[in-house]
Amino acid sequence: MQEQPAGGPNRTRWTPSGEEQKHTWGWVLQAVTGMLVLLLVTLHMIANHFVVQRGLRDFAAVVAYLSNPLVVVLEVLFLVVVTWHGLLGLRAVLFDFGFSRRVESWITRVLWVVGVAIVFYGLWLTWVIASYH
Amino acid sequence: MSERLVEQSPAGREGVDSAAVQRRTDGASPRRRGVASWGDPRGRRLGGWAFVLHRVTGLGILIYLFLHLAVLSLLARGPSAWDDFVSIALSPFFLFFDVVLIFGLLAHGLNGIRVTLVGFGLVVDRQKAMFVALMVLGAIILIVAALRIFEVG
Repeated sequence: MQEQPAGGPNRTRWTPSGEEQKHTWGWVLQAVTGMLVLLLVTLHMIANHFVVQRGLRDFAAVVAYLSNPLVVVLEVLFLVVVTWHGLLGLRAVLFDFGFSRRVESWITRVLWVVGVAIVFYGLWLTWVIASYH
Repeated sequence: MSERLVEQSPAGREGVDSAAVQRRTDGASPRRRGVASWGDPRGRRLGGWAFVLHRVTGLGILIYLFLHLAVLSLLARGPSAWDDFVSIALSPFFLFFDVVLIFGLLAHGLNGIRVTLVGFGLVVDRQKAMFVALMVLGAIILIVAALRIFEVG
């Protein structure tokens, strides 16, 4: 049996070699979030390890770091985008097992719950640290 | 088990293991049946290895992200919990894993550029050269990062 495509029937081959990767909404979203992650992870690393001299070595440094609103925006944006990209990637791996449509839609739902929970956890943690005195 | 059968029988194309057939017809990252076939070297060309590298590093980074977020919860417990963790994180053992992490990020991120370009129909005929060039770039950045990680500590 041919494996189910990840994102529906409207699929076109994306290379002439006959690869089974498809131009689905999932693939486009994965590519877009991927490029955003590349940008944001670079900024995340630079901010954490270079802008902050010698890095965030202790608790006080973390509190000071998060007192900058620009940093909060960067880190929250990074969390949302990287969570989305990571779970979408996990979804693609899981879908390659060739589960039924019903199982696939459950996988999508569970990953949505996980993703939303991760983002709320990050927001909560940011708020706790930012309000530390 | 049924691999030989599949390769000989035309029915196998649609049947037991389509991945086995695909692997012979095109080496560049065919869809496989899950994790089990990623380590299978038969008929796999460079593109196929790039596919496996992308998936393995992707899953590794995802596991790291969960650990990273879990460790950050120490911050909610106040200064001493966090500062104790930082002192552990500066041990050579931890720093080695930082280098592994950088390797994963570079391999996944740089190969991701190639996958994205090819996915949008760009530089499709130069993918192999692009992959090699990106990995060489990654290797250089990895060496610099590893030296810096152990130097700064």
